[in-house]
Amino acid sequence: MTVLLAAGTAGTILKVAYSAVIASVLISVAFALAVLGFARSADMRRVDRHVAASVYTTLAVCALVLCAAAAVYGVILVGQKS
Amino acid sequence: MLVIVVLTALAFDFTNGFHDTANVVATSISTRAIGPRRAIGMASVLNFVGAFISLKVADTVGQGFVDTHLVTTTVVFAGLVGAIAWNLITWYFGLPSSSSHAMIGGLVGAVIAASGWGGANGHGLLTKLILPALVSPLVAFLAAGIAVVIVYRIIGRVRPGAVNRGFRLGQVVSSALLALSHGTNDAQKTMGVITLALVASGKLSAQHFHVPLWVVIAAASAISLGTFSGGWRIIKTLGTKIIAMDPAQGFVAQTAGAAVILAASRGGYPLSTTHVISGGITGAGAGKRLSAVRWGVAGEIVTAWVLTLPCAALMAALIYGVVHLFGGGDAGPLVLSGLMLLVLAAVFRRRR
Repeated sequence: MTVLLAAGTAGTILKVAYSAVIASVLISVAFALAVLGFARSADMRRVDRHVAASVYTTLAVCALVLCAAAAVYGVILVGQKS
Repeated sequence: MLVIVVLTALAFDFTNGFHDTANVVATSISTRAIGPRRAIGMASVLNFVGAFISLKVADTVGQGFVDTHLVTTTVVFAGLVGAIAWNLITWYFGLPSSSSHAMIGGLVGAVIAASGWGGANGHGLLTKLILPALVSPLVAFLAAGIAVVIVYRIIGRVRPGAVNRGFRLGQVVSSALLALSHGTNDAQKTMGVITLALVASGKLSAQHFHVPLWVVIAAASAISLGTFSGGWRIIKTLGTKIIAMDPAQGFVAQTAGAAVILAASRGGYPLSTTHVISGGITGAGAGKRLSAVRWGVAGEIVTAWVLTLPCAALMAALIYGVVHLFGGGDAGPLVLSGLMLLVLAAVFRRRR
């Protein structure tokens, strides 16, 4: 019984641990891509490469949306009963 | 007696917010992502909001660590005063120790002083407190370390000005998320203790343990006010002494901290937010360059962590003994509450 309880606890803690690592790496990487996208987009616009600028802007916006969605999803999960 | 215990719990919650402001805003202030007053104002509001999101941690604190049948209002009072005393000592020396562990340590110390070792729930302490306490800073360290390595590879060739501007903006959001997560975990602990006092005084049934709404509102308000008052000594230790941070590291450290705290709140684990954000900051520093971390300061912080649980327990046991010297009535708690208010007033005067 004690072994089962310990295994259950270790499993729950492990789940908390890997969820947190995945979430923080995902959000940080997505935000870095957004920063890269906006910076490169400005650079491209400066040298009149408008297509490349648009591609970088799209990358940045998508990355920002992903960041926001991950954060909101995390808060909603915490608020759920089970 | 119950009124004194509730007021003491709210005073503890206030010192918790006061003490833990550093966790939430230190990195944002040190990288100049946001001004100190605005950062503390935002943290205060979001701590309040976060307290309403989940009550799982309150349930764990109220039922998980001590035998609820052996808890009296005097035990809860002694536990709280022991925790407040330890919080003030670590605050005075600028050490970011854990308010949560102080509170739980105090509660356990007082119940052991009152009823012997059988009053503490060893399994609950190990699985719901000690294991998560050991794992959570390591997880935050690992998450921040991995993230910062990847982030630097992505932004390596981008103009530093653009990168710093971008991550400073990001830090405003990540510190908001950290403040919200802090409310989902730290404010709950006082709610759990007040509910435990209500059970001990017979106002609530142990079989139908639930946190009343007025307790949620009172605890959320106390932690929010405490946060608004700020704790500049610890902000200095966390924000500048462990590592000199850039905005990308600050963003990663805060995001890792928020992710760990939110995941733990979902599981009902009462984490130390101080441990978690310190782990995140150290990981963000080590991910960039191992020598960037001032390991001596990190070592001092670890010492404070290790000492918190036993020292708060010992103080609470002593306070339980002192309260008993006055007999079973309200005289002991009243005298000690008066003394505690004097100490808090002195602390405030010193801060100003």
